[in-house]
Amino acid sequence: MILLESHNVIIENTLTEKFQKPSALDVQFVDYDGVRFHLSTPERKSVLLLSMNIRCWEELVKYGAQDVIQREYGKWIAPSVEPEYNVSLQFDTDQVPEGEERAAFIHSVALMKRNALAAPFERAFLKQYQLESIPAPIDGSAREEGELMQIHYRDEEAIYIRASHDRVTVIFSTMFKEETDRITGRVFLQEFVDARRLPSIQNAPQVLYSNREPPLEIRHLSGLKDTEDVGYVTFVLFPRHFATPDTAAATISRIQLFRDYLHYHIKCSKAYMHSRMRHRVTEFLKVLNRAKMETAGEKERKTITGRSLRSFR
Amino acid sequence: MALLAPIISDNGSGYSKIGFAGNSDPSFVFPTAIATRENQVSAAGGGSRAPSIPSKPGHLASKRGIEDLDFYIGDEAFSKPGYGVHYPIRHGLIENWDHMERYWEQSIFKYLRAEPEDHYFLLTEPPLNPPENRENTAEIFFESFNIQGLYIAVQAVLALAASWSSNKVTDRTLTGTVIDSGDGVTHVIPVAEGYVIGSAIKHIPIAGRDITQFVQMLLRERGETATIPPEDQLRVAQKVKEDYSYVCQDIVKEFRKYDAEPYKYFERYEGEHSVTGRKYGIDVGFERFLAPEIFFNPEIYSSDFLTPLPEVVDNVIQQSPIDVRRGLYRNIVLSGGSTMFDHFGQRLRRDLKQIVDKRVAASEVASGAHMRSSGVEVNVISHKRQRYAVWFGGSLLASLPEFYSYCHTKADYDEVGPSICRRYTIFGSAT
Repeated sequence: MILLESHNVIIENTLTEKFQKPSALDVQFVDYDGVRFHLSTPERKSVLLLSMNIRCWEELVKYGAQDVIQREYGKWIAPSVEPEYNVSLQFDTDQVPEGEERAAFIHSVALMKRNALAAPFERAFLKQYQLESIPAPIDGSAREEGELMQIHYRDEEAIYIRASHDRVTVIFSTMFKEETDRITGRVFLQEFVDARRLPSIQNAPQVLYSNREPPLEIRHLSGLKDTEDVGYVTFVLFPRHFATPDTAAATISRIQLFRDYLHYHIKCSKAYMHSRMRHRVTEFLKVLNRAKMETAGEKERKTITGRSLRSFR
Repeated sequence: MALLAPIISDNGSGYSKIGFAGNSDPSFVFPTAIATRENQVSAAGGGSRAPSIPSKPGHLASKRGIEDLDFYIGDEAFSKPGYGVHYPIRHGLIENWDHMERYWEQSIFKYLRAEPEDHYFLLTEPPLNPPENRENTAEIFFESFNIQGLYIAVQAVLALAASWSSNKVTDRTLTGTVIDSGDGVTHVIPVAEGYVIGSAIKHIPIAGRDITQFVQMLLRERGETATIPPEDQLRVAQKVKEDYSYVCQDIVKEFRKYDAEPYKYFERYEGEHSVTGRKYGIDVGFERFLAPEIFFNPEIYSSDFLTPLPEVVDNVIQQSPIDVRRGLYRNIVLSGGSTMFDHFGQRLRRDLKQIVDKRVAASEVASGAHMRSSGVEVNVISHKRQRYAVWFGGSLLASLPEFYSYCHTKADYDEVGPSICRRYTIFGSAT
């Protein structure tokens, strides 16, 4: 897959291994956007505890993350949350499902971060559905809109989601610390907007990009940074993007990874440029070497055994 | 912001071990291999390896492609038809920077799922790595990935640090001899106070792959391979090596033991054909103790290299400065998968002790019995983390709070440039 996947490979691998052969374990690892995981066997070898820490947990809870976690993992939720973490799941190796179900179960656990972050999206989709059924006011006043959900998933970056009667708007604020990245990123995002014009991807959500200037939807918010480094990417999701549960799930998984994929792609294209630069340098070096002067003077003569005759002269 | 755990990446010529500091095992171990599109190579023409360059400048959208994302690393690399597999690291040194840059990219983003901007990194390098390579590495990590900070450590030093986890080690010193035996080659590296004594390093062309081949040869000679399908032979030999082999203290006695009670010592290996699923079984006999014996009696396997491992270790220490020799004898540390055999350490210690004692006795005689030696202490340390010792050592050091002060940060790099990474303060020698 050229795309990044939304499940965490470490969780998947470790659980697959440990469900088969329980043994003591204590590992910490991360996921994108500063999410931290801790997988351990605190009491017995057969009881695994998986805890997750997400920076914007409070906000997510406000938008129903707890319910999503409850729905997805129900009976696996640990009675008490490990200190310093936000959610804990507990697995008893004797109780996990067998065979194919197990693989599916492990996969769903590996999607833990995605599910937590999916809550506001699901809520927005639901809201849109509700708003659609309310008829437009006759007096021509503006139609009702859903609340603006803010998720500060990184220190300086946030996702804003708002549902209205015919669409869901998702806005990413992006911030590049590095000058080079900023420029590459800007070109990229511009391109991104253009790319939609290709006939093959007409069904993709509409994308808007603005540098520095926040889009109208979030302009009233206070505390928005006003510097050159900031950009805003707006995705407009139409009902067809979340018509069925499957498409909705796919949409959520993809849009969550937007920032990570963007950064990954920027790095990949940098590497691509670097390899072309390296290639050029070697080409130029070849030219330079060709331009070198032949060694001046008479060529050294050698005997048949390879010794030079200089000393005899 | 709370700092996220530093990432430890130990890229070897065969396998890469990557994971997060503070853990006892790497999160991922996969081949250092990268698969890229082959047709691109031929398209560039002139036998050059560079990616094709768009023919003429123009509308950007017309050359939109995914060449920059089109590659696979690790185990995935081998299962992609139409892609060519490359190994960017040879003999421990990075040879192809284009491939390595991409390799790192995907190992960070796709496998570790981390953002390099948020992390510190600890990388490893082989002894005698040219400083230019460090600079190149630093350039990639700071400029492509914008990482927060970087520390490049010598593998042997990390292996020494890993031995601190053994309960036999009382003082945390960075003086010792490291025997690092992986898949391709075995190194014997003397380290004094965290500095590698470059002039005394020795390499032995016998390592994991040779042991596997030797096991295969032995099985064939005994006629056991008749039942093994040819394509599985190497795999079976590897399995026998990993699961049944051990180091004996005396070959002759061991042979006698096996002859007297074959049923007690012969093991049965049951395998299954990887394609047809047909079952087969073989007897595992003398291979069990003969396999690792090639370290101690190389003449049974090769005719080119005939010096036994204990002798090589002794030579290495004798070539080191005289004032550190005692420390080197006292702390001999094993690292790498091919040192995992049972009793490997004991045998090495015994053989080495014999050599040393003989020399001490000879010099006592030579001095006319005027000088009495207090004897030389020889210790070989084996521990549980031997297989990924280098990675584990890195994890150990990077989880200490001082780690950050030893790193070169992005700010330092921007100030000075890549040359800052030519030097690193030796880390962890704290008493």
